[in-house]
Amino acid sequence: MMGRRVVIIGVASHWGRALARRLERDPEIDYLAGIDTGKAPADLGRTDFIEADIRSPLLSRLLPRTEADTIVHCGILWYPEPGKPARVLHDVNVIGTLQLLAACERTRTLERLVVRGSAAIYGCEGATPYFFTERMARTLPLRTRFQRDISELEAYVENFARRHPEIGCCTLRYQPEVGPDLGTPLVRYLQLPVVPTQLGWDPRLQLVHADDATAALEAATRSQARGAVNVAPSGSISLSHILRVLRRPTLPIPHPLFGPALERLGRRLGAGPIYGDGVRLLRFGRGVDNRRLLDEVGYRPRFNAEAAIRDFAAKSHGLRIAPSIHPGDVVGRFAGAAR
Amino acid sequence: MSASAQADSPQATAESVADFLRRVRTGIEGGLDPVTAANRAADELPQRLARLVQLLSRRVRGEYHEDEWGFDEEFAEAVYPVFEFLYEVWWRVDAAGVRNVPAHGRALLVSNHAGSLFPFDASMILLAIMKQHPLPRWARFLVLDWAFVLPFISAFMRRVGGLPASKHNAARLLEQDEVVMVFPEGVKGTGKQFSERYRLQRFGRGGFVEVALRTGSPIIPVAVVGSEEIYPKLGNARPVARAVGAPFVPITPTFPWLGPLGLVPLPSKWRIEFCEPIDLSSHGPDAADDPRLLFDVSEQVRETIQARLYENLVERRAAFFQPL
Repeated sequence: MMGRRVVIIGVASHWGRALARRLERDPEIDYLAGIDTGKAPADLGRTDFIEADIRSPLLSRLLPRTEADTIVHCGILWYPEPGKPARVLHDVNVIGTLQLLAACERTRTLERLVVRGSAAIYGCEGATPYFFTERMARTLPLRTRFQRDISELEAYVENFARRHPEIGCCTLRYQPEVGPDLGTPLVRYLQLPVVPTQLGWDPRLQLVHADDATAALEAATRSQARGAVNVAPSGSISLSHILRVLRRPTLPIPHPLFGPALERLGRRLGAGPIYGDGVRLLRFGRGVDNRRLLDEVGYRPRFNAEAAIRDFAAKSHGLRIAPSIHPGDVVGRFAGAAR
Repeated sequence: MSASAQADSPQATAESVADFLRRVRTGIEGGLDPVTAANRAADELPQRLARLVQLLSRRVRGEYHEDEWGFDEEFAEAVYPVFEFLYEVWWRVDAAGVRNVPAHGRALLVSNHAGSLFPFDASMILLAIMKQHPLPRWARFLVLDWAFVLPFISAFMRRVGGLPASKHNAARLLEQDEVVMVFPEGVKGTGKQFSERYRLQRFGRGGFVEVALRTGSPIIPVAVVGSEEIYPKLGNARPVARAVGAPFVPITPTFPWLGPLGLVPLPSKWRIEFCEPIDLSSHGPDAADDPRLLFDVSEQVRETIQARLYENLVERRAAFFQPL
């Protein structure tokens, strides 16, 4: 495909920016535009920044004029951000997506729509299939606000896809991402000097390496895959294993007190509370099946679940000020002893 | 299994620990700093203790492997001796026909389910394969969903190879050529009264046959005798069960009367028989949509297990003390 025209919604977000930087290097893409509120990100080159709010009907007039053939929606918010408090999340996620779909309807040149969604749609329960496939969404009760929002906006996208079979619509269901400079609540939680855990629980997690998260988004933009696709590393790793690899001492707290304790402790130590289904994720965990990502999108994650954590550990070790008191490091000093 | 580690007596281990500490102390008194003293003393550690230290230090540093199901082989090996004691000393398990379990490739073990308070049958079948099979392999087992909403128990189950009972889990495991154990009776089997012991309950909806057909796995019926007597369920504390959300809370001759002592299972005599595999591969995966076939095979498996149960009960004679 030569001469593509791509528009990224939510280009000021971490993932929108990362995708724009990659696509800028692609000579096949003639025109690249980004839509978001606020200021244009400084590190973007040829991306045409259009300041607009995804929630406003103005989008329906802006988008057709770009003559885009590919639209990537990175504007979904997982948790409150500075300038985007908790009460606007629903508006941005659901109403914003509705406005975007209405605008897509007017964009005659559109061939492909990629939505960066979340695997939170599957929920976190004690007894579930250990690897959700794409068809298992909404089989469990939707418990949190964010889950309901995600489910609702995916339903809108599915509807849109049904009415426009000529447009290839693809929703990516991301497991939480991990990377030293991401600053998401989960990453900040893992970087706490003492990590509170839920007593007696050890969730199985799949955290997507930040490089894989961006590369999968790029691959989905280029591929012809339709429908929902899980984005997750292969394998899984338990929280206790993660914290040992990261050399973080843990503080087990009975699970009814975990949420409030984390909010207090987190604020004091520099990590905010965990939002949405985070508390349930850190109790029950969640695994998804990534075979569609491999086979249909054609992207093979570079890091499996354990390698993603090891890489994260290697890159965040430099951030430590005080010497580690974790038994893993203490034992490491005695390592010669065992030989 | 690390057979050599088990051969070491705990006494010898304790002695070498004391020896190590003594050497550290002399080192420090001799003017060394604690780290160097410990290093020097460790150089003289006996082999087996050194191995243990090595293992533990690897564990705290997170240098171990869990598979994608959260099964942790080293953890399973660490708790193995406890179950080995139950297998050999407490319940004197006799296992027959272990060779019917294939050494490689997928297989679905289907067994009766009993033992109201803690059903130990999965662990004993697992041990029978580990101990008696010429090529031992870890079997995975599907566990009642309720166990996975409990702290500690859920984490323990997962590490030793237990999974929430879901068709998707069983199918994926079998596609990975694992041995999977299922108990189609479910709670109906474990929750039945002592007076109904060894009478098989309804076999769910035949979901296990569907999974076996779709994945082309042979079904191996397993009959377990002895599991019914470990916690004879005489009554059900229904209000307590409702309060904690449990399927049932059994009242046994010892539980809850003796407190924690009531959790000790009775030492019945066990027999485990692995029957001839039932090969379903001739039907093809599409046969899984035929409810008639599902019920037929399910009934065939059920009858096989019931027949072998009666046979083994007769051969076992007394439940607790074997007449000479």
